[in-house]
Amino acid sequence: MPVLGIESSAHTLGIGIVDNGRILANEKRMYRIGNKGILPMRAAALHTKNLHSALKRALDKAGLGIRDIEAIGYTKGPGLGPCLEVGMLAARSIALRYGMQIFHVNHAVAHIEITSHMCRACDPLVLYVSGGNSQILAIADEPYKHYHVYGETFDIGVGNMLDSFARDAGFKRAWGSEVASAAVGGSYISMPYTVKGMDFAFAGLMTNAVKMLKSHALKDVAYSLQETAFSMLCEATERALLLTGKRELIVCGGVAQSARLQEMLGLVSAGHRARFGVAPNEFNSDNGAMVALVAEKLLRAGARHRLEDCSVNQKYRVDKVALEWK
Amino acid sequence: MMELISEGAEARIYATSLLGKDAVVKRRLPKRYRVRQLDYALRSQRTKTEARALALASLAGVKAPVLLLVDDFDIYMSRVRGTNLNRMLVHGVSEGKLKKILRDIGAYAGLMHAADMAHGDYTPANIMVSGSTAYVIDFGLAVMTSAVEEKALDLLLMKRSLPGRAFSSFMKGYRKAYSESKKTESRLNSIERRGRYQTRTLTIG
Repeated sequence: MPVLGIESSAHTLGIGIVDNGRILANEKRMYRIGNKGILPMRAAALHTKNLHSALKRALDKAGLGIRDIEAIGYTKGPGLGPCLEVGMLAARSIALRYGMQIFHVNHAVAHIEITSHMCRACDPLVLYVSGGNSQILAIADEPYKHYHVYGETFDIGVGNMLDSFARDAGFKRAWGSEVASAAVGGSYISMPYTVKGMDFAFAGLMTNAVKMLKSHALKDVAYSLQETAFSMLCEATERALLLTGKRELIVCGGVAQSARLQEMLGLVSAGHRARFGVAPNEFNSDNGAMVALVAEKLLRAGARHRLEDCSVNQKYRVDKVALEWK
Repeated sequence: MMELISEGAEARIYATSLLGKDAVVKRRLPKRYRVRQLDYALRSQRTKTEARALALASLAGVKAPVLLLVDDFDIYMSRVRGTNLNRMLVHGVSEGKLKKILRDIGAYAGLMHAADMAHGDYTPANIMVSGSTAYVIDFGLAVMTSAVEEKALDLLLMKRSLPGRAFSSFMKGYRKAYSESKKTESRLNSIERRGRYQTRTLTIG
Protein backbone atom coordinates (compact mmCIF):
# COMPACT_ATOMS: atom_id res chain seq x y z
CA MET A 1 0.00 0.00 0.00
CA PRO A 2 1.17 3.55 -0.74
CA VAL A 3 2.89 5.88 1.72
CA LEU A 4 2.31 9.63 2.00
CA GLY A 5 4.98 12.24 2.77
CA ILE A 6 4.64 15.84 3.94
CA GLU A 7 7.49 18.32 3.51
CA SER A 8 7.18 21.83 4.96
CA SER A 9 10.63 22.79 6.24
CA ALA A 10 10.93 26.11 4.38
CA HIS A 11 9.18 27.86 1.49
CA THR A 12 7.63 24.76 -0.07
CA LEU A 13 4.72 22.67 1.11
CA GLY A 14 5.10 19.33 -0.59
CA ILE A 15 2.79 16.32 -0.56
CA GLY A 16 4.14 13.16 -2.11
CA ILE A 17 2.77 9.66 -2.53
CA VAL A 18 5.05 6.70 -3.14
CA ASP A 19 4.24 3.05 -3.73
CA ASN A 20 7.08 0.53 -3.85
CA GLY A 21 9.54 3.27 -4.78
CA ARG A 22 7.27 4.50 -7.59
CA ILE A 23 6.22 8.13 -7.29
CA LEU A 24 2.46 8.47 -7.75
CA ALA A 25 2.15 12.16 -6.85
CA ASN A 26 4.41 15.06 -5.96
CA GLU A 27 2.32 18.18 -5.28
CA LYS A 28 3.89 21.51 -4.32
CA ARG A 29 2.64 24.86 -3.06
CA MET A 30 5.29 27.54 -2.81
CA TYR A 31 5.58 30.66 -0.70
CA ARG A 32 6.63 33.61 -2.89
CA ILE A 33 9.93 34.87 -1.58
CA GLY A 34 10.07 38.17 -3.49
CA ASN A 35 12.91 40.35 -2.26
CA LYS A 36 12.44 39.73 1.46
CA GLY A 37 13.50 36.14 1.96
CA ILE A 38 11.23 33.79 3.88
CA LEU A 39 9.15 35.27 6.67
CA PRO A 40 8.64 32.05 8.68
CA MET A 41 5.24 32.88 10.22
CA ARG A 42 3.80 33.93 6.87
CA ALA A 43 5.18 30.88 5.12
CA ALA A 44 3.71 28.67 7.87
CA ALA A 45 0.32 30.38 7.55
CA LEU A 46 0.36 29.80 3.80
CA HIS A 47 1.28 26.12 4.24
CA THR A 48 -1.64 25.71 6.66
CA LYS A 49 -3.99 27.33 4.16
CA ASN A 50 -2.73 25.18 1.26
CA LEU A 51 -2.54 21.91 3.11
CA HIS A 52 -6.00 20.55 2.39
CA SER A 53 -6.06 21.39 -1.32
CA ALA A 54 -2.53 20.07 -1.90
CA LEU A 55 -3.35 16.84 -0.08
CA LYS A 56 -6.57 16.38 -2.03
CA ARG A 57 -4.85 17.08 -5.35
CA ALA A 58 -2.05 14.60 -4.57
CA LEU A 59 -4.58 11.89 -3.72
CA ASP A 60 -6.58 12.66 -6.89
CA LYS A 61 -3.46 12.48 -9.05
CA ALA A 62 -2.56 9.13 -7.54
CA GLY A 63 -6.15 7.96 -7.95
CA LEU A 64 -6.38 7.16 -4.25
CA GLY A 65 -8.46 7.98 -1.21
CA ILE A 66 -6.93 8.75 2.16
CA ARG A 67 -7.93 5.30 3.44
CA ASP A 68 -5.71 3.69 0.77
CA ILE A 69 -2.64 5.19 2.47
CA GLU A 70 -0.73 2.77 4.70
CA ALA A 71 1.62 5.12 6.55
CA ILE A 72 2.65 8.76 6.71
CA GLY A 73 6.00 10.52 6.97
CA TYR A 74 6.83 14.17 7.65
CA THR A 75 9.95 16.33 7.86
CA LYS A 76 11.14 16.67 11.45
CA GLY A 77 13.98 19.07 10.58
CA PRO A 78 16.26 20.84 9.97
CA GLY A 79 14.21 23.83 8.90
CA LEU A 80 12.16 26.80 10.05
CA GLY A 81 10.23 26.05 13.25
CA PRO A 82 6.81 27.46 12.36
CA CYS A 83 6.90 25.81 8.92
CA LEU A 84 8.00 22.43 10.27
CA GLU A 85 5.19 22.50 12.81
CA VAL A 86 2.53 22.67 10.10
CA GLY A 87 3.74 19.43 8.52
CA MET A 88 4.22 17.74 11.87
CA LEU A 89 0.72 18.61 13.12
CA ALA A 90 -0.87 17.58 9.83
CA ALA A 91 0.95 14.24 9.85
CA ARG A 92 0.04 13.53 13.48
CA SER A 93 -3.62 14.43 12.89
CA ILE A 94 -3.92 12.23 9.81
CA ALA A 95 -2.08 9.35 11.49
CA LEU A 96 -4.36 9.49 14.55
CA ARG A 97 -7.58 10.00 12.60
CA TYR A 98 -6.95 7.08 10.20
CA GLY A 99 -4.85 4.85 12.46
CA MET A 100 -1.73 4.98 10.31
CA GLN A 101 1.86 4.49 11.31
CA ILE A 102 3.81 7.74 11.43
CA PHE A 103 7.51 8.31 10.66
CA HIS A 104 9.67 11.37 11.25
CA VAL A 105 12.18 12.03 8.51
CA ASN A 106 15.36 14.11 8.36
CA HIS A 107 15.19 16.63 5.51
CA ALA A 108 18.80 16.09 4.35
CA VAL A 109 18.45 12.31 4.44
CA ALA A 110 15.31 12.61 2.31
CA HIS A 111 17.14 14.70 -0.33
CA ILE A 112 20.00 12.20 -0.46
CA GLU A 113 17.76 9.14 -0.57
CA ILE A 114 15.55 10.32 -3.43
CA THR A 115 18.58 11.23 -5.53
CA SER A 116 20.28 7.89 -4.76
CA HIS A 117 17.02 6.16 -5.65
CA MET A 118 16.62 7.96 -8.99
CA CYS A 119 20.29 7.60 -9.96
CA ARG A 120 20.42 3.99 -8.76
CA ALA A 121 23.45 4.82 -6.62
CA CYS A 122 24.39 2.30 -3.93
CA ASP A 123 27.16 3.91 -1.93
CA PRO A 124 27.78 7.40 -3.28
CA LEU A 125 29.72 10.41 -2.15
CA VAL A 126 27.05 13.09 -1.72
CA LEU A 127 27.22 16.84 -2.19
CA TYR A 128 24.12 18.28 -0.51
CA VAL A 129 23.65 21.93 -1.37
CA SER A 130 20.61 23.97 -0.42
CA GLY A 131 19.71 27.26 1.19
CA GLY A 132 20.60 26.38 4.74
CA ASN A 133 22.97 23.48 4.16
CA SER A 134 26.12 22.68 2.25
CA GLN A 135 27.69 19.36 3.15
CA ILE A 136 29.77 16.55 1.73
CA LEU A 137 28.62 13.17 3.05
CA ALA A 138 28.93 9.43 2.67
CA ILE A 139 27.62 6.43 4.56
CA ALA A 140 29.67 5.32 7.57
CA ASP A 141 29.06 2.15 9.61
CA GLU A 142 30.25 3.24 13.07
CA PRO A 143 28.82 3.64 15.67
CA TYR A 144 25.65 2.99 13.61
CA LYS A 145 24.87 3.32 9.91
CA HIS A 146 24.59 7.02 9.18
CA TYR A 147 25.62 9.73 6.76
CA HIS A 148 28.96 10.95 8.00
CA VAL A 149 29.75 14.60 7.28
CA TYR A 150 33.19 14.76 5.65
CA GLY A 151 33.05 18.47 4.98
CA GLU A 152 30.62 21.34 5.37
CA THR A 153 30.22 25.08 5.43
CA PHE A 154 31.72 26.92 8.37
CA ASP A 155 29.06 29.63 8.14
CA ILE A 156 26.14 29.91 5.69
CA GLY A 157 24.81 27.53 3.05
CA VAL A 158 25.65 28.25 -0.59
CA GLY A 159 21.97 28.77 -1.48
CA ASN A 160 21.51 31.24 1.33
CA MET A 161 24.58 33.09 0.06
CA LEU A 162 23.24 33.35 -3.49
CA ASP A 163 19.79 34.41 -2.23
CA SER A 164 21.27 37.07 0.08
CA PHE A 165 23.39 38.43 -2.74
CA ALA A 166 20.31 38.56 -4.98
CA ARG A 167 18.45 40.55 -2.30
CA ASP A 168 21.30 43.00 -1.83
CA ALA A 169 21.64 43.39 -5.60
CA GLY A 170 17.96 44.45 -5.61
CA PHE A 171 16.55 41.54 -7.63
CA LYS A 172 12.76 41.44 -7.67
CA ARG A 173 12.87 37.68 -7.29
CA ALA A 174 15.80 36.96 -5.02
CA TRP A 175 16.72 33.43 -6.05
CA GLY A 176 19.95 31.63 -6.88
CA SER A 177 18.67 30.95 -10.40
CA GLU A 178 18.27 34.70 -10.95
CA VAL A 179 21.96 35.12 -10.07
CA ALA A 180 22.71 32.50 -12.74
CA SER A 181 20.69 34.46 -15.32
CA ALA A 182 22.44 37.70 -14.35
CA ALA A 183 25.82 35.97 -14.75
CA VAL A 184 25.37 35.20 -18.46
CA GLY A 185 28.14 36.83 -20.52
CA GLY A 186 30.05 38.00 -17.44
CA SER A 187 33.81 37.89 -17.10
CA TYR A 188 35.85 36.73 -14.15
CA ILE A 189 37.04 39.02 -11.36
CA SER A 190 39.15 37.66 -8.52
CA MET A 191 37.20 36.96 -5.30
CA PRO A 192 37.98 35.53 -1.84
CA TYR A 193 38.30 31.77 -2.02
CA THR A 194 38.03 29.78 1.25
CA VAL A 195 38.52 26.02 1.30
CA LYS A 196 40.07 24.24 4.26
CA GLY A 197 40.53 20.60 3.51
CA MET A 198 36.97 19.46 2.85
CA ASP A 199 35.30 22.42 4.58
CA PHE A 200 34.50 25.81 3.11
CA ALA A 201 33.07 29.22 4.04
CA PHE A 202 30.80 31.55 2.07
CA ALA A 203 30.00 34.57 4.26
CA GLY A 204 33.17 36.52 3.36
CA LEU A 205 32.69 35.80 -0.33
CA MET A 206 29.16 37.19 -0.19
CA THR A 207 30.13 40.39 1.63
CA ASN A 208 32.89 40.95 -0.88
CA ALA A 209 30.58 40.40 -3.86
CA VAL A 210 28.02 42.87 -2.50
CA LYS A 211 30.77 45.51 -2.07
CA MET A 212 31.99 44.86 -5.62
CA LEU A 213 28.56 45.82 -6.99
CA LYS A 214 29.56 49.46 -6.45
CA SER A 215 32.59 49.28 -8.70
CA HIS A 216 31.84 46.49 -11.19
CA ALA A 217 29.14 45.45 -13.63
CA LEU A 218 26.46 43.23 -12.13
CA LYS A 219 26.99 40.47 -14.71
CA ASP A 220 30.71 40.27 -13.87
CA VAL A 221 30.08 40.14 -10.12
CA ALA A 222 27.29 37.55 -10.46
CA TYR A 223 29.42 35.42 -12.79
CA SER A 224 32.50 35.55 -10.55
CA LEU A 225 30.51 34.89 -7.39
CA GLN A 226 28.92 31.80 -8.87
CA GLU A 227 32.14 30.49 -10.40
CA THR A 228 34.09 31.01 -7.17
CA ALA A 229 31.48 29.42 -4.91
CA PHE A 230 30.95 26.40 -7.15
CA SER A 231 34.71 25.93 -7.63
CA MET A 232 35.11 25.83 -3.85
CA LEU A 233 32.44 23.14 -3.60
CA CYS A 234 34.06 21.17 -6.42
CA GLU A 235 37.52 21.30 -4.87
CA ALA A 236 36.29 20.05 -1.50
CA THR A 237 34.19 17.37 -3.21
CA GLU A 238 37.13 16.19 -5.30
CA ARG A 239 39.26 15.87 -2.18
CA ALA A 240 36.54 13.81 -0.48
CA LEU A 241 36.18 11.64 -3.59
CA LEU A 242 39.88 10.75 -3.44
CA LEU A 243 39.85 10.24 0.32
CA THR A 244 36.82 7.97 0.38
CA GLY A 245 37.56 6.21 -2.93
CA LYS A 246 33.83 6.21 -3.77
CA ARG A 247 32.88 5.31 -7.35
CA GLU A 248 29.66 7.34 -7.43
CA LEU A 249 29.07 11.04 -6.89
CA ILE A 250 25.60 12.56 -6.54
CA VAL A 251 24.47 16.12 -5.95
CA CYS A 252 21.15 16.98 -4.31
CA GLY A 253 19.28 19.87 -2.68
CA GLY A 254 17.93 23.09 -4.17
CA VAL A 255 21.24 24.35 -5.55
CA ALA A 256 21.72 21.02 -7.38
CA GLN A 257 19.31 22.48 -9.94
CA SER A 258 22.11 24.70 -11.23
CA ALA A 259 23.17 23.54 -14.70
CA ARG A 260 26.62 25.04 -14.21
CA LEU A 261 27.21 23.20 -10.92
CA GLN A 262 26.05 19.96 -12.54
CA GLU A 263 28.47 20.50 -15.42
CA MET A 264 31.39 21.19 -13.07
CA LEU A 265 30.72 18.17 -10.87
CA GLY A 266 30.42 16.01 -13.99
CA LEU A 267 33.98 17.07 -14.87
CA VAL A 268 35.20 16.37 -11.32
CA SER A 269 33.84 12.83 -11.34
CA ALA A 270 35.01 12.11 -14.90
CA GLY A 271 38.55 12.95 -13.75
CA HIS A 272 38.37 10.11 -11.23
CA ARG A 273 36.26 7.67 -13.23
CA ALA A 274 33.37 8.00 -10.82
CA ARG A 275 29.76 7.90 -12.02
CA PHE A 276 27.94 11.20 -11.63
CA GLY A 277 24.24 11.44 -10.89
CA VAL A 278 21.63 14.11 -10.31
CA ALA A 279 17.84 13.80 -10.02
CA PRO A 280 15.36 15.76 -12.20
CA ASN A 281 14.92 19.28 -10.81
CA GLU A 282 11.43 18.53 -9.47
CA PHE A 283 13.18 16.35 -6.86
CA ASN A 284 16.11 18.66 -6.15
CA SER A 285 13.91 21.43 -4.84
CA ASP A 286 12.02 20.56 -1.67
CA ASN A 287 9.28 18.01 -2.27
CA GLY A 288 6.97 15.58 -0.48
CA ALA A 289 7.93 12.52 -2.56
CA MET A 290 11.37 12.33 -0.94
CA VAL A 291 9.78 12.25 2.52
CA ALA A 292 7.30 9.58 1.43
CA LEU A 293 10.15 7.53 -0.04
CA VAL A 294 12.11 7.48 3.25
CA ALA A 295 8.94 6.78 5.24
CA GLU A 296 8.24 3.81 2.98
CA LYS A 297 11.79 2.49 3.46
CA LEU A 298 11.33 2.79 7.23
CA LEU A 299 7.97 1.02 7.09
CA ARG A 300 9.28 -1.87 4.95
CA ALA A 301 12.32 -2.25 7.23
CA GLY A 302 9.97 -2.74 10.17
CA ALA A 303 10.89 0.49 11.94
CA ARG A 304 8.44 1.99 14.43
CA HIS A 305 8.43 5.65 15.47
CA ARG A 306 6.52 6.53 18.62
CA LEU A 307 3.99 9.33 18.33
CA GLU A 308 5.59 11.19 21.27
CA ASP A 309 8.91 11.30 19.37
CA CYS A 310 7.18 12.92 16.43
CA SER A 311 8.20 16.49 17.20
CA VAL A 312 10.15 19.07 15.21
CA ASN A 313 13.85 19.86 15.53
CA GLN A 314 15.06 22.99 13.75
CA LYS A 315 18.70 21.95 14.01
CA TYR A 316 18.27 18.23 13.38
CA ARG A 317 21.77 17.08 12.35
CA VAL A 318 21.96 14.63 9.47
CA ASP A 319 24.73 12.63 11.17
CA LYS A 320 22.45 11.91 14.16
CA VAL A 321 20.09 9.83 12.05
CA ALA A 322 20.47 6.04 12.09
CA LEU A 323 19.69 4.67 8.62
CA GLU A 324 17.37 1.96 9.88
CA TRP A 325 16.63 0.57 6.42
CA LYS A 326 20.22 0.09 5.24
CA MET B 1 58.19 9.52 -18.53
CA MET B 2 58.55 10.21 -14.83
CA GLU B 3 57.27 7.63 -12.36
CA LEU B 4 54.04 8.68 -10.62
CA ILE B 5 54.47 8.20 -6.86
CA SER B 6 51.20 9.55 -5.60
CA GLU B 7 48.15 11.45 -6.70
CA GLY B 8 46.24 13.91 -4.56
CA ALA B 9 43.21 16.03 -5.32
CA GLU B 10 45.38 18.98 -6.27
CA ALA B 11 48.66 17.61 -7.50
CA ARG B 12 50.62 14.63 -8.68
CA ILE B 13 54.01 13.67 -7.30
CA TYR B 14 56.55 12.15 -9.67
CA ALA B 15 59.97 10.64 -8.97
CA THR B 16 62.74 12.36 -10.85
CA SER B 17 66.35 13.33 -10.39
CA LEU B 18 67.96 16.72 -10.29
CA LEU B 19 71.72 17.28 -10.56
CA GLY B 20 72.21 13.55 -10.06
CA LYS B 21 70.21 13.51 -6.80
CA ASP B 22 67.06 11.56 -5.99
CA ALA B 23 64.21 14.06 -6.17
CA VAL B 24 60.46 14.37 -6.50
CA VAL B 25 58.43 16.96 -8.32
CA LYS B 26 55.03 18.05 -7.09
CA ARG B 27 53.02 19.25 -10.07
CA ARG B 28 49.74 21.11 -9.69
CA LEU B 29 47.57 20.11 -12.60
CA PRO B 30 44.92 22.26 -14.25
CA LYS B 31 41.31 21.58 -13.29
CA ARG B 32 38.91 21.66 -16.19
CA TYR B 33 35.90 22.41 -14.01
CA ARG B 34 36.99 25.92 -13.02
CA VAL B 35 37.50 29.01 -15.19
CA ARG B 36 41.03 29.51 -16.51
CA GLN B 37 41.85 32.68 -14.55
CA LEU B 38 40.82 31.14 -11.23
CA ASP B 39 42.59 27.89 -12.02
CA TYR B 40 45.81 29.69 -12.88
CA ALA B 41 45.68 31.96 -9.84
CA LEU B 42 45.01 29.14 -7.38
CA ARG B 43 47.73 26.91 -8.76
CA SER B 44 50.43 29.55 -8.91
CA GLN B 45 49.59 31.08 -5.50
CA ARG B 46 49.55 27.70 -3.82
CA THR B 47 52.81 26.63 -5.44
CA LYS B 48 54.50 29.78 -4.16
CA THR B 49 53.02 29.52 -0.66
CA GLU B 50 53.96 25.87 -0.37
CA ALA B 51 57.56 26.48 -1.49
CA ARG B 52 57.87 29.35 0.97
CA ALA B 53 56.45 27.24 3.82
CA LEU B 54 58.77 24.36 3.03
CA ALA B 55 61.80 26.67 3.09
CA LEU B 56 60.66 28.40 6.28
CA ALA B 57 60.08 25.09 8.08
CA SER B 58 63.57 23.89 7.18
CA LEU B 59 65.06 27.16 8.43
CA ALA B 60 63.14 26.76 11.69
CA GLY B 61 64.79 23.37 12.24
CA VAL B 62 62.02 21.04 11.05
CA LYS B 63 63.21 17.96 9.16
CA ALA B 64 61.50 18.16 5.80
CA PRO B 65 62.36 17.57 2.14
CA VAL B 66 64.96 20.01 0.82
CA LEU B 67 63.56 22.58 -1.56
CA LEU B 68 65.47 22.41 -4.84
CA LEU B 69 63.62 24.36 -7.52
CA VAL B 70 60.31 26.14 -7.99
CA ASP B 71 58.62 26.70 -11.34
CA ASP B 72 55.14 28.13 -12.13
CA PHE B 73 53.22 25.08 -10.87
CA ASP B 74 56.08 22.72 -9.98
CA ILE B 75 58.09 22.21 -6.82
CA TYR B 76 61.22 20.06 -7.00
CA MET B 77 62.44 18.72 -3.66
CA SER B 78 64.68 16.00 -2.31
CA ARG B 79 63.09 12.59 -2.02
CA VAL B 80 62.52 11.22 1.49
CA ARG B 81 62.40 7.44 1.38
CA GLY B 82 60.72 5.78 4.32
CA THR B 83 57.43 4.67 5.79
CA ASN B 84 54.41 6.81 6.36
CA LEU B 85 53.64 7.16 10.09
CA ASN B 86 50.02 6.24 9.46
CA ARG B 87 51.08 2.88 8.09
CA MET B 88 53.45 2.39 11.03
CA LEU B 89 50.64 3.01 13.50
CA VAL B 90 48.44 0.44 11.77
CA HIS B 91 51.13 -2.22 11.39
CA GLY B 92 52.69 -1.70 14.81
CA VAL B 93 55.99 -0.22 15.90
CA SER B 94 58.12 -0.62 19.04
CA GLU B 95 57.00 1.63 21.88
CA GLY B 96 60.41 3.24 22.40
CA LYS B 97 60.80 4.15 18.75
CA LEU B 98 57.25 5.48 18.51
CA LYS B 99 57.73 7.66 21.59
CA LYS B 100 60.80 9.29 20.07
CA ILE B 101 59.01 9.89 16.76
CA LEU B 102 56.00 11.40 18.53
CA ARG B 103 58.18 13.75 20.60
CA ASP B 104 60.06 14.76 17.47
CA ILE B 105 56.96 15.56 15.46
CA GLY B 106 55.56 17.41 18.48
CA ALA B 107 58.76 19.46 18.52
CA TYR B 108 58.45 20.10 14.76
CA ALA B 109 54.96 21.50 15.31
CA GLY B 110 56.39 23.73 18.07
CA LEU B 111 59.20 24.95 15.82
CA MET B 112 56.79 25.77 12.99
CA HIS B 113 54.45 27.60 15.33
CA ALA B 114 57.34 29.55 16.87
CA ALA B 115 58.24 30.62 13.32
CA ASP B 116 54.63 31.80 12.84
CA MET B 117 53.48 29.16 10.42
CA ALA B 118 50.96 26.34 10.61
CA HIS B 119 51.20 23.17 8.54
CA GLY B 120 47.48 23.04 7.81
CA ASP B 121 47.24 19.25 7.40
CA TYR B 122 49.31 17.93 10.29
CA THR B 123 48.32 14.25 10.42
CA PRO B 124 50.31 10.99 10.64
CA ALA B 125 49.72 10.58 6.89
CA ASN B 126 52.02 13.54 6.34
CA ILE B 127 54.89 12.23 8.44
CA MET B 128 57.51 10.04 6.78
CA VAL B 129 59.79 7.97 8.97
CA SER B 130 63.19 7.03 7.64
CA GLY B 131 65.21 4.91 10.06
CA SER B 132 64.34 6.57 13.35
CA THR B 133 64.09 10.07 11.88
CA ALA B 134 60.72 11.66 11.20
CA TYR B 135 60.22 14.04 8.28
CA VAL B 136 57.29 16.37 7.73
CA ILE B 137 55.94 16.33 4.16
CA ASP B 138 53.21 18.04 2.13
CA PHE B 139 53.11 21.73 2.99
CA GLY B 140 50.32 22.22 0.45
CA LEU B 141 47.87 23.65 3.00
CA ALA B 142 50.44 25.53 5.11
CA VAL B 143 49.77 29.12 6.13
CA MET B 144 52.19 31.78 7.28
CA THR B 145 50.37 33.27 10.22
CA SER B 146 50.65 34.22 13.86
CA ALA B 147 46.98 33.27 14.43
CA VAL B 148 46.57 30.96 17.43
CA GLU B 149 43.52 29.37 15.79
CA GLU B 150 45.50 28.01 12.82
CA LYS B 151 48.19 26.66 15.11
CA ALA B 152 45.63 25.02 17.38
CA LEU B 153 44.07 23.33 14.34
CA ASP B 154 47.40 21.58 13.70
CA LEU B 155 47.18 20.13 17.22
CA LEU B 156 43.52 19.23 16.78
CA LEU B 157 44.13 17.28 13.57
CA MET B 158 46.98 15.35 15.14
CA LYS B 159 44.99 14.70 18.29
CA ARG B 160 42.10 13.26 16.30
CA SER B 161 44.38 10.94 14.37
CA LEU B 162 46.44 9.58 17.28
CA PRO B 163 45.57 7.29 20.20
CA GLY B 164 45.27 9.25 23.49
CA ARG B 165 48.62 8.26 25.02
CA ALA B 166 50.45 8.90 21.77
CA PHE B 167 49.11 12.44 21.74
CA SER B 168 50.51 13.13 25.21
CA SER B 169 54.02 12.13 24.01
CA PHE B 170 53.46 14.44 21.06
CA MET B 171 52.54 17.31 23.39
CA LYS B 172 55.69 16.79 25.50
CA GLY B 173 57.83 17.49 22.45
CA TYR B 174 55.58 20.42 21.50
CA ARG B 175 55.78 22.16 24.88
CA LYS B 176 59.59 21.93 24.93
CA ALA B 177 59.97 23.45 21.48
CA TYR B 178 57.44 26.28 21.76
CA SER B 179 57.48 28.82 24.58
CA GLU B 180 53.87 29.92 23.92
CA SER B 181 52.47 26.40 23.85
CA LYS B 182 49.96 27.26 26.63
CA LYS B 183 48.09 29.62 24.30
CA THR B 184 47.63 27.04 21.55
CA GLU B 185 46.68 24.36 24.07
CA SER B 186 43.94 26.46 25.59
CA ARG B 187 42.64 27.35 22.12
CA LEU B 188 42.61 23.65 21.28
CA ASN B 189 40.36 23.08 24.29
CA SER B 190 37.98 25.82 23.24
CA ILE B 191 37.79 24.52 19.63
CA GLU B 192 36.91 21.08 20.94
CA ARG B 193 34.03 22.56 22.92
CA ARG B 194 32.45 24.15 19.83
CA GLY B 195 29.27 22.16 19.45
CA ARG B 196 28.66 21.95 15.74
CA TYR B 197 31.62 19.75 14.97
CA GLN B 198 31.52 17.42 17.96
CA THR B 199 29.99 14.64 15.94
CA ARG B 200 32.75 14.78 13.36
CA THR B 201 35.18 12.43 15.05
CA LEU B 202 35.47 9.66 12.48
CA THR B 203 39.19 9.05 11.99
CA ILE B 204 40.15 8.81 8.39
CA GLY B 205 43.17 8.27 6.14
